[in-house]
Amino acid sequence: MSTKDKSAALFQWRIVVVAAILTGLFGMLILRLVQLQVGVSQYGNDFLQRQGDLRAVRSAEIPAYRGLITDRRGSPLAVSTPVVTLWANPQQLLGSGRENELAELMNLSVADFARRLERYRKKQFMYLARHQTPHTARAVLAADIPGVYGQREYKRFYPAGEVVSQLVGTTDIDGAGATGLELVFEEKLQGRPGKKRFIKALHGESIRDIGVVDEAADGAELQLSLDLRLQHVQHRELLRAMNETGAAAASAVTVDARTGEILAMTNLPSFNPNRRGQLDLATMRNRVVTDVFEPGSTVKPLTLVAALESGEFDIETLINTSPGRIKVGDKVLPDPVNYGEISVSRVIEKSSQVGVTKIAQALGHEPILDVFARFGLGQSTGAEFPGERSGRLPDHDFWSAIDRVTPAFGYGLLVTPMQLAQAYAVFANKGKLVPFTFIAQGEASGGSRHHASRQVISPAVAEQVITVLHRVTGPEGTARKATVSGFGVGGKTGTVHKVGSAGYLDDRYVALFVGVAPVSAPRYVTVVVIDEPSGDAYGGGAAAAPVYSRITQEVLRIKNVAPKSAEPESGELILAGSGEGDTSA
Amino acid sequence: MIPRFGKSQLQLLLVGVGAFISALAIVSQTHQTRLLFTMLQAQESERWRLQENYSRLVLEYSTLSAPHRVSAISRSSLTMTSPDTGTIRVVAE
Repeated sequence: MSTKDKSAALFQWRIVVVAAILTGLFGMLILRLVQLQVGVSQYGNDFLQRQGDLRAVRSAEIPAYRGLITDRRGSPLAVSTPVVTLWANPQQLLGSGRENELAELMNLSVADFARRLERYRKKQFMYLARHQTPHTARAVLAADIPGVYGQREYKRFYPAGEVVSQLVGTTDIDGAGATGLELVFEEKLQGRPGKKRFIKALHGESIRDIGVVDEAADGAELQLSLDLRLQHVQHRELLRAMNETGAAAASAVTVDARTGEILAMTNLPSFNPNRRGQLDLATMRNRVVTDVFEPGSTVKPLTLVAALESGEFDIETLINTSPGRIKVGDKVLPDPVNYGEISVSRVIEKSSQVGVTKIAQALGHEPILDVFARFGLGQSTGAEFPGERSGRLPDHDFWSAIDRVTPAFGYGLLVTPMQLAQAYAVFANKGKLVPFTFIAQGEASGGSRHHASRQVISPAVAEQVITVLHRVTGPEGTARKATVSGFGVGGKTGTVHKVGSAGYLDDRYVALFVGVAPVSAPRYVTVVVIDEPSGDAYGGGAAAAPVYSRITQEVLRIKNVAPKSAEPESGELILAGSGEGDTSA
Repeated sequence: MIPRFGKSQLQLLLVGVGAFISALAIVSQTHQTRLLFTMLQAQESERWRLQENYSRLVLEYSTLSAPHRVSAISRSSLTMTSPDTGTIRVVAE
C-alpha cells in the first residue's frame, strides 16, 4: 500500500467519523423535538402546552342571569339588571398619567383618589366603583384611559321595595341568595355561571376569546303565590293601624285555604331592600313565621272542635257560667260580666273564660292537645321559610289543675301567625289541612298537593265551627268590627298579655284576629297581629278586627267573590272570576 | 416539448396539488372562524344591550304600575271609587 493510498483511506475514515457525529447530533435534535412535541415525559408536550397557556390563556366567568321573581300575576318582585363594575390596574393607570382625568370623570375628589391610588400602587387590581349603571360606566370607559376596565355583572333590584321585602329576601353583593325566598329557592334561581377562555395581552386585557368552556345556564323564573295588589292592601292597612294604635309592630297573612297558597304576607316595620348598608335586622324579620306568642282566645275554636268530637257537646249545649268566675287550683278566672246559662256557641261568641274552662275540665287536656297537634300547632308548616319557628305545645311531667285548662284558652303554648292561619284554613277547607306554599299552583300541580293534604277533622265539625265563627262577628259577638259590608265573615279575636322577664306584663298586649271569608263558601283566611297597641283600643276586637275587615273587603273584591246582595237570580253563588282563572286576571 | 411523467411523478404531483388545496382550505376556514367569532361577539353585546333595555323597561313598568300609584291616580285625576256592594251586579256565566 502506497503512502498516498494510506492517506486517502485515513481521509475517508475521518469523513465517516465527522459525518457520523454530525448525523448523531442532528438525530438528537430530532429526538428532542419529538420528545417535546409528542412525548409524555416530565417536560414533554403537556408541560409546554400548560406553560404556554399559563402565560397567555385566561378563563373568565360568564355571569348567569338570576331568575326573575314575580307575583302570581307576573308583576316583578326581584329583577336582575346588568350593571358594570369599574376596576383599574393601578400600575398601568399611574403609568398613563391620566388619573386626574379619571377622578374628574367619576366625580371623585382628585386628592382623595390620588391617596387611594397611592395605597394600591403595588397592586394589579383595585375596584373603582361597583355596580354602576351601564350608562354611567360607558361614559367612563369611553375616555379610553389605560388600565381602566369594566366588568359585566348583575345587580338585584326589588321593584316592590319594602312592601314584600322580608318575604322575597335579599341577595348578597355577589348575587347569591342571602335571606328570604331568595335563599330558599337559591338553586332554582341562581343558574350556573359559564366559563370562557381568552388570550390575554401583557396586562391581562382580552385579545380574543378562544372558546366557551361551559355555557352559562340562566336561572329559572319563580312565580310566587303572592298577589302584589293584596300585598299593597295589607301594607297600607297595617301602616294605618300602626298610626292609629301606636303599635310597635304589625303583621298580616292571607292564604287561600283550598290550595294552601299564601296570597299576601306583610310585616311592619319594614325595610327597603334596594338600599343596602343601612339595614336594621329587626325590620328584616318575617314575623309571620319567626315570631311566636301565646295565641290566647284565638285557639278557643280548636277547643270547640275537641268538645264537638267528644260527643258530649253540640254547639247549642247549655253551660252555666254563673257567677261569672271560676276557681281552678288557687287561680280565679273571671268573665267581664256574669253571662249566666249560655250555649257553647255563645261561650265562643262572648269568649267566656268560665265557659271554656268548664268545657276543658269536662274534656281533660289530652283531647284538646290532640286537636292542636292535628291542626299543626307545635310543628313546622312545611312552607320552609328560613328561620321558621315551630312553636311549642305544653308538656308537663305533672299536670296541675290550672295546667290542664290553660291550653283551652290559649296560654302555655306558643304559635306563629302562620300556624294560626293554617289551623283556621282547616275550618275553611272542610276539615282538610293543605300544606302551605309560596309558589303559585297551576292546574297541573293541583293533584300532587291534593295528595299531600290530609283530613284532620270531619267536614260536619268544620261546618259547625264556621257557623260559630260567623256568630262571633254578629251583633252579640266580640268581633263586630270585623264585619265586611256585603259579605258574611267569621273569625275570632284574641288579646294576650306579652311576657317580660318577670312574667306577664300588665300593660303590654298583642291584639289578634283570625278570620275566614266568605262564610257561604269559606276560602280566604287572614291573620292580623298588632303588637303592643297603646291606648284604650288594645284588644283584638278593637285593634285587630277593623284591620281584618278592611283587608278582607279588598281580598274578596280582588278575588272576584260575589257579594251576598249581588247574587245572580238564577243559579248558585258563583265567583265572577270562576275560581282558578283568577290567576290570570 | 411536453414533459413525460412517470407514474411516481404523477403521484407526487397529485400530493402537491392536494397539499396546496388543503392549505387554501385552512386559510379560508380560519377566515370563516374569525367572521363567525366577530358575529358571536356582536350577538353577545347585542344580548347584553337587550338585557339592559329589558330590565330597565321591567323596572319602569313596575314603577308606573305600582298599586299605590294606580290607586292615587284613579282617585285623583279619574275620580274613580271602589264600588260599594249595593252597586255590584254579578253576571252568571
